[in-house]
Amino acid sequence: MKLSTVQTDAIQELGNIGAAHAATTLSQMLGSAVEMSVPAIKAIDISELGSYMGEESAAMVAFELQGEIPHGGYIIFYISRESAIRLTNTMLGLTDMNRPMNEMDESALLEVGNIMVSAFLDATAELLGFIMLPSPPSLSIDMAHAAMSSLIAQMGEEIDEVLLFSTELVCEEHKIDSDIIMMPENSTLAHIVELMENMMKGV
Amino acid sequence: MPDPHTHEQTAMIGIGEYRVGSFPMMTIGLGSCIGLTLYDDSLKIGAMVHIMLPESAGRKDRPGKYADTAVPLLLKELNALGCKNRSLVAKMAGGASMFEYFGANLNIGERNADKIRALLKEHSIRLMKEDVGGKCGRSVTFFPGNNGKVAIRRADGTTGEL
Repeated sequence: MKLSTVQTDAIQELGNIGAAHAATTLSQMLGSAVEMSVPAIKAIDISELGSYMGEESAAMVAFELQGEIPHGGYIIFYISRESAIRLTNTMLGLTDMNRPMNEMDESALLEVGNIMVSAFLDATAELLGFIMLPSPPSLSIDMAHAAMSSLIAQMGEEIDEVLLFSTELVCEEHKIDSDIIMMPENSTLAHIVELMENMMKGV
Repeated sequence: MPDPHTHEQTAMIGIGEYRVGSFPMMTIGLGSCIGLTLYDDSLKIGAMVHIMLPESAGRKDRPGKYADTAVPLLLKELNALGCKNRSLVAKMAGGASMFEYFGANLNIGERNADKIRALLKEHSIRLMKEDVGGKCGRSVTFFPGNNGKVAIRRADGTTGEL
């Protein structure tokens, strides 16, 4: 769906609030400052997905959006493999960067993703009065394109263009760069946009 | 005309796209998607498509995206260049299941592979080799100029050839 400028602003504001809460939890877990970008909205044709996410190795903790809309789309905690190792090293008190990832890393990533995404969705629910709950998390540490395209393939409404709402979260001290990416189904997006518009009109 | 065996640009094939010719072609980061190649050894030409879903359910705008529209499309294109179905061989890679827990019941990767196998059989095309399933992403390069070789690089660092 095409978004007007007002709708884009509204969604950005929503992303801003969600990501700010997620950033706070990340900052608490790492014990250091986390900066966040302005939320970006990207409309990507599926044939062009490769130029956005390619063969690079990344960890993605994905959640299906559930709650008032049963299949609302996906929300993803995305972190490059390198940043993921730095993140889990920081959490587990390790220093070796050139080690294979193991079950400890996987549980740590699942946990971090869970905490951040829950914080994100709690904040947006409070703002919108519309509850989106995360499904249990699922982790993929693989080529980013392979994981992302698989999620797109299982979206409920079939699409040729995906709308991604992403906010970058960066911890300078530990050189950790991550993103929270929301990929709503069109029906979910329409609903969110409507709630945001009503809110801005003071309904 | 440049020598067909040197310095050829590799065509990148995104989701739902396809190419036909004798130049190298590549699909990166296949998860549940499938990279399907058809190759005619007598003419040294082939086609590659990046399939995302098994069934088009009547949609016609992106025939390369669905197995049931992609296979007839490639055959039509190759037949137009003089390829006979009986001299074509197929290879495919991809169809993985990237996320545990969800999507497992949908099993899109496996359904893609099953649909392609059935369609190839229906059109009497020999499926020579495949590397499908599992949990690992794959990048696949197809070399029609080199006997239809298909090179696979998996996310875990292993490589393969079909």
